[in-house]
Amino acid sequence: MAMSDRFLPLSHHPERATSETAPTKAVLIAVAGLFLGAILFFPLVTVFIEALRKGWGTLFGTFADPDTLAAIRLTLLVAAIAVPFNAAVGLAASWAIAKFEFRGKNLLLTLIDLPFSISPVISGLVYVLLFGAQGWLGPWLDQHNIHIIFAVPGIVLATVLVTFPFVARELIPLMQSQGTSEEEAALMLGASGWYTFLKVTLPNVKWALLYGVLLCNARAMGEFGAVSVVSGHIRGLTNTMPLHIEILYNDYNFVGAFAVASLLAGLALVTLLAKTFLEWRFAGELAATSRRH
Amino acid sequence: MSVPVRVRNLEKTFGRYPALKGVSLDVEAGELVALLGPSGSGKTTLLRAIAGLEQPDAGQVLFGDIDANTLSLRERRIGFVFQQYALFRHMRVIDNIAFGLRARPRSSRPSEAAIKSKVLELLHLVQLDGLEARYPAQLSGGQRQRVALARALAIEPRVLLLDEPFGALDARVRKDLRKWLRELHQRTGHTTLFVTHDQDEAFELADRIAILDQGRIEQVGTAAEILERPATPFIDSFIEGIARREAQARDRTKPHVVASR
Amino acid sequence: MRLLTRRSLALGAAALFLSFEAAQALADRTLLNVSYDPTREFYKDFNAAFAADWKAKTGETVTIEQSHGGSGKQARAVIDGLQADVVTLALAGDIDQIAAKTDKLPKDWASKLPNNSAPYTSTIVFVVRKGNPKGIKDWNDLVKDGVQVITPNPKTSGGARWNYLAAWAYAEKATGGDEAKTKQWVADLYRNVPVLDTGARGSTTTFAQRGIGDVLISWENEAFLVQKEFGADNFDIVVPSLSIKAEPPVAVVEGNAKAKGNLDVAEAYLKFLYSPEGQKLAARNFFRPVDPSSADPADLARFPKIDLVSIDKDFGGWTKAQNEFFADGAIFDQIYKPTN
Repeated sequence: MAMSDRFLPLSHHPERATSETAPTKAVLIAVAGLFLGAILFFPLVTVFIEALRKGWGTLFGTFADPDTLAAIRLTLLVAAIAVPFNAAVGLAASWAIAKFEFRGKNLLLTLIDLPFSISPVISGLVYVLLFGAQGWLGPWLDQHNIHIIFAVPGIVLATVLVTFPFVARELIPLMQSQGTSEEEAALMLGASGWYTFLKVTLPNVKWALLYGVLLCNARAMGEFGAVSVVSGHIRGLTNTMPLHIEILYNDYNFVGAFAVASLLAGLALVTLLAKTFLEWRFAGELAATSRRH
Repeated sequence: MSVPVRVRNLEKTFGRYPALKGVSLDVEAGELVALLGPSGSGKTTLLRAIAGLEQPDAGQVLFGDIDANTLSLRERRIGFVFQQYALFRHMRVIDNIAFGLRARPRSSRPSEAAIKSKVLELLHLVQLDGLEARYPAQLSGGQRQRVALARALAIEPRVLLLDEPFGALDARVRKDLRKWLRELHQRTGHTTLFVTHDQDEAFELADRIAILDQGRIEQVGTAAEILERPATPFIDSFIEGIARREAQARDRTKPHVVASR
Repeated sequence: MRLLTRRSLALGAAALFLSFEAAQALADRTLLNVSYDPTREFYKDFNAAFAADWKAKTGETVTIEQSHGGSGKQARAVIDGLQADVVTLALAGDIDQIAAKTDKLPKDWASKLPNNSAPYTSTIVFVVRKGNPKGIKDWNDLVKDGVQVITPNPKTSGGARWNYLAAWAYAEKATGGDEAKTKQWVADLYRNVPVLDTGARGSTTTFAQRGIGDVLISWENEAFLVQKEFGADNFDIVVPSLSIKAEPPVAVVEGNAKAKGNLDVAEAYLKFLYSPEGQKLAARNFFRPVDPSSADPADLARFPKIDLVSIDKDFGGWTKAQNEFFADGAIFDQIYKPTN
């Protein structure tokens, strides 16, 4: 062991990081595998099986229903607004936190984490308290005939709030570990701040950014709690896919509910596959940018 | 091309910790000066303040007759080599070196062909011909160091600043690079300041040495001046090792046996 | 490449939004009916009938949007600004809440339509699994050890409050009006409840789909629906000796309907509930019509005769019942302790 280590002083050998015996390892892997199978894989398969219980015809029939289509459309719309917004703001916030020293930085960090630590229901209720008819801004909004909660803007806001940390949380640790010296080098070489951001900062974090965006997207499409509070559950109008699944389920339309659920699960799987594919396709570059030198 | 650098009464405080307490220093055009001192002495802060990466609380930096404060980072045109090189990890060597030229505003930006020939010329200068398509992760420490230097030279700097240029290298490579840098400086003639905590390095390489301690410059002079007349007890003890080795080197020339270490 | 994707994404988002707006603009007018849980199937039929009737009378296309949920939760949403034109909730107390907290409908809303603005009534019955394995015949069987009772949370669900009051009425009668014993009896009942869902529909799916519990205390219409949806050979309905006359009321939320220019169609919508066609549809969907004359006799034959107490006569009206039983810190909060 010691001998071979001496020949390979620079490379990593994770399999040698522990001293567990082979049986222990096998047991641990089996436990993890069983757990994932029971908790994740099996229920997911059930969703697809339930959706197909009455055949493909009924499954596709669900997607011809205008309320279901409206729910799909609304979900995509909400994600199309919330995800780019959170990507941009998350990037800006991470940049500020990782690259600059300023007063209130810790407060900002805590605030970014807040949506993770509070229940999504509370995130929704915050907007009811703010924009509801009995809320602080409610009367003013009512006078100007602006509808925020129980309408699309409220759903977008709630989704933005709940999914805000995903991009920032991915970027901050990476940006902090990368430090500021590459940016300083760029500035010393005469680059403008914007050029530095585009050519140095952004390329260095693009994988983390992409990963954050994918996670953010998955959550934005799947968010239930916060959106449920501000939705008003108007069919065909303010129901997102997760809410519509609940409605179909409560309408005793179980096949329909599982059909929409399998579509939602399918979208999440596509997201994960996209991520895996990109990781595989750009593995070399990924290793080059994440390694410190 | 090269200009003298004059530092006047620079002060800088981080929080309550004073890093520079009124530092003044004159560096002549084309001179190679070492900023030597123990860690926390303020030498890196001084270098970064000259570069413009730190804003001093008081004092002045002059490049020739120009107050550095009136210049943007781009206008200062300072070649800076970072301690860990700070190469752009996602760019090939050629793109790293070309960065400063490509970052220029369109009006003063050379053509891509001109940039390429300039980069190849610099690669040749730092003896890295043929490595232009590598990524930084695929280079050895010494090679990265030389890429960083070529990148800094690409903008035709007024002044070259190096922060612990050999700090991250192993001893053998250090020796080689030291000699090589000395030759390169003789050839290009840039006004150069470098930070080091290694007395041997400073004494061997620099025209003059500025020794810092606790935010002050304790003494500036040539190696011989400092060895002969250390200005303070601190310097006396700080250069003790060098003085002893110098003495040993003289002794070794005498024809008697010395116990080997 | 990256720029292109971003641009097409933005375009896609814009197109989605436009098509969304366009879908809304298609209908001449839209009316929002905010309702409680077990009325989903009824209003699906009724909305189609009303839209056809309105079209025939005025030539105008009206689209009725539905929102369903626990009655109390729905009232809360209207109070918080959900733009309901009409509310069709489980109990008068919830509409009273809207009248008290907003100025969107008058305090005397109940007098605007016949029969205290309740176009149909219902009552509370039990649903048990086929063959009634636990032998449940009356309320007394629900407090026995080892019987699991499914009923929703009275704090959020209107149906649950009717369930609670029916149980209370029975206990009061059984204990000869002894309040402490009545309280204890009801506390014993809720000790047998393993899951408190927020709405009646949630409880029904808990019982029927997920297979939890031995008996579901349920709206009568919901009980029939369970048999219809899950098969009459899977569930039996048990009619207790005493129950309560539930009068789910309806009202125009005038403030919203006026603002949206929907007052006339909203009023016509609720009046249509009292029309022969509306009453017939109510009976078909297992609600007891206030005017049975135009309902299908076969539909009416499904409703058993039960001894019914009344919220107004026996409990002094909803405001009193609400304060006594369901307000924060009132009797329900005192007796219900979640068991885990």
